Amino acid sequence: MVLRVENLSKRYNGTTALSEVSFEIPDGTFAVVLGESGAGKSTLLRILNGLTEPTEGHVYIDDEEITNSRSDVGMVFQQHNLVEELSAYSNALTGTLNRTGFLRSLLNRQPTDEKELALEALETVGLLDAAGQTVSSMSGGQQQRVGIARALVQQPELLLADEPVASLDPSSAETVMAYLRETAKTRELTTLASLHQVNIAREFGEQFIALKQGDVVFAGSREELTSDVLERIYGDIETDELREETETEAASEAIPEADMGIGVES
Amino acid sequence: MSADSDSVIDRLLKQVIGGNKPDSAIKQRHTELKRERLVRRLSQSALLTIIGVLLFASLVMVGFWREEWIQYWPEFTDALTQYFPPELYFGFLPAIDIGRYYQFWVEAGLVGEAGITLAIALAGTIMGAPLALLFGVLGNERVTPFPINFVFRGIMSIIRSIPSLVWALIYVPLGGISPVTATLAIGTDTIGELGRLLTDELEEIDDGPIEGISSTGAGKPQVITFGMITQIVRPFIAWSMFILENNVRSAVGLGIIGAGGLGVTLSIEQQTFKFTNMMATILFIVVLVLSVEMVSQRTRSYLRGDDDDEQSSLYDRIVGLPKRLSNSLF
Repeated sequence: MVLRVENLSKRYNGTTALSEVSFEIPDGTFAVVLGESGAGKSTLLRILNGLTEPTEGHVYIDDEEITNSRSDVGMVFQQHNLVEELSAYSNALTGTLNRTGFLRSLLNRQPTDEKELALEALETVGLLDAAGQTVSSMSGGQQQRVGIARALVQQPELLLADEPVASLDPSSAETVMAYLRETAKTRELTTLASLHQVNIAREFGEQFIALKQGDVVFAGSREELTSDVLERIYGDIETDELREETETEAASEAIPEADMGIGVES
Repeated sequence: MSADSDSVIDRLLKQVIGGNKPDSAIKQRHTELKRERLVRRLSQSALLTIIGVLLFASLVMVGFWREEWIQYWPEFTDALTQYFPPELYFGFLPAIDIGRYYQFWVEAGLVGEAGITLAIALAGTIMGAPLALLFGVLGNERVTPFPINFVFRGIMSIIRSIPSLVWALIYVPLGGISPVTATLAIGTDTIGELGRLLTDELEEIDDGPIEGISSTGAGKPQVITFGMITQIVRPFIAWSMFILENNVRSAVGLGIIGAGGLGVTLSIEQQTFKFTNMMATILFIVVLVLSVEMVSQRTRSYLRGDDDDEQSSLYDRIVGLPKRLSNSLF
């Protein structure tokens, strides 16, 4: 589905988190929102999901306006936001809550095909064997995959991911991002992920939107995301570091079989 | 030469002034510190005086100073020998005659009485706990909007301000002075006490799971159940166990006004001046309360997840038993 954002603004007691943000993401595209912390990435995703109300502006999915949380928009959070006391399976099942009555969900009496859907989603993220495991006993990477599974069980058409790998170690980050891309591709989902690590963003993103202090400073494809553009996004302080990173990234891309370990910015 | 002598004078002046400077600074600081310490001492003694005056006034109010002290003292020592009847074991070893306690335990059927006390506490706790959960959740601002949630908090505060003994008196027209009344009283008390603890627990839960559940498009009752209540299930069980401990003690207290169980035995023996039997009952109460506390403590430490018994061998369990028992109790 096509995601269209029009003149979105959000102000918190005088501070502007987003100002007149507009963009459009074509159907089935894996898009990435870039920007420093505090650039407005989280605010944007939360508005898209209906968790936060915009001060001005509109969000449309296939010309239908979004005003609150709904099951066809799945969300993956930086801190996973799972119910840690429950099993991976029960957490995946919470993705069906929108379609299930209160008593049915309380008594765990969802229809069989819904339960199979939850297990299928866990299989997609490679956690079918760990379905019965309590989430609190899982690693960060596994928890985030359960988070993806929950979003998938919602049977979304738009998948949002707010810094999905920011709190994970490099190898878990790679795995989680790979699962995210894989699922998005097989299910033909329009995906919007916010990331602050440029190298991961370049590896997985197809289209990019960059925010700086609430303004869109760049929108374009991977080829257009040059180091000059990055300089514009991240300012002068980090530029040298970033340029170095993108250059090494480019160098490793040149060698097809290179082991592309992901360096997480500290 | 003159330039040199100037610099010498300068140096000397500097030395004099510079030498004085740290000295006066230290002295100044010292005086400040002295003053601070004096103020602190004065306020401490003022506080102690206030506490002393309060104690004195309170003792006067309760009529602590009276001549009966001397008059009654022999009676008290006499009662003590009845509380703890002495006996010579093997003809020479003086100790407390435990046999007499045991005799009364069997005679008066204290196990059955303890059963009633325990039943009052259990029934009251189990009936009160779900209502406490309901009130605790409804008292939370995220569930009920601001002014209305204070209705539920207010109800819990009012319940708490009335002791369970008074609740029993309130319920007397409904069931007389009986175990039924005691159960109702303890159930009501549980709503206030446990509900309050759960309200506090709910204040501290994470927003994450709530947002996570909300983001799926779930309805409000579902968000409350899956996002909030799941987070307080463990504390809920743990606090219920804690409240059960308190309720066993309350049940004994309610027995004293005649509501059944060990408390009744206790008050009968006291009123008939059978002090040995009374002490036997008290010791039985101690055993009962400590047993409940031990079960409750073990459950709670298990729920907290710091129970490592499963990894320890049978030998460790037996050897570590006294320490674990003392940890559980004290």
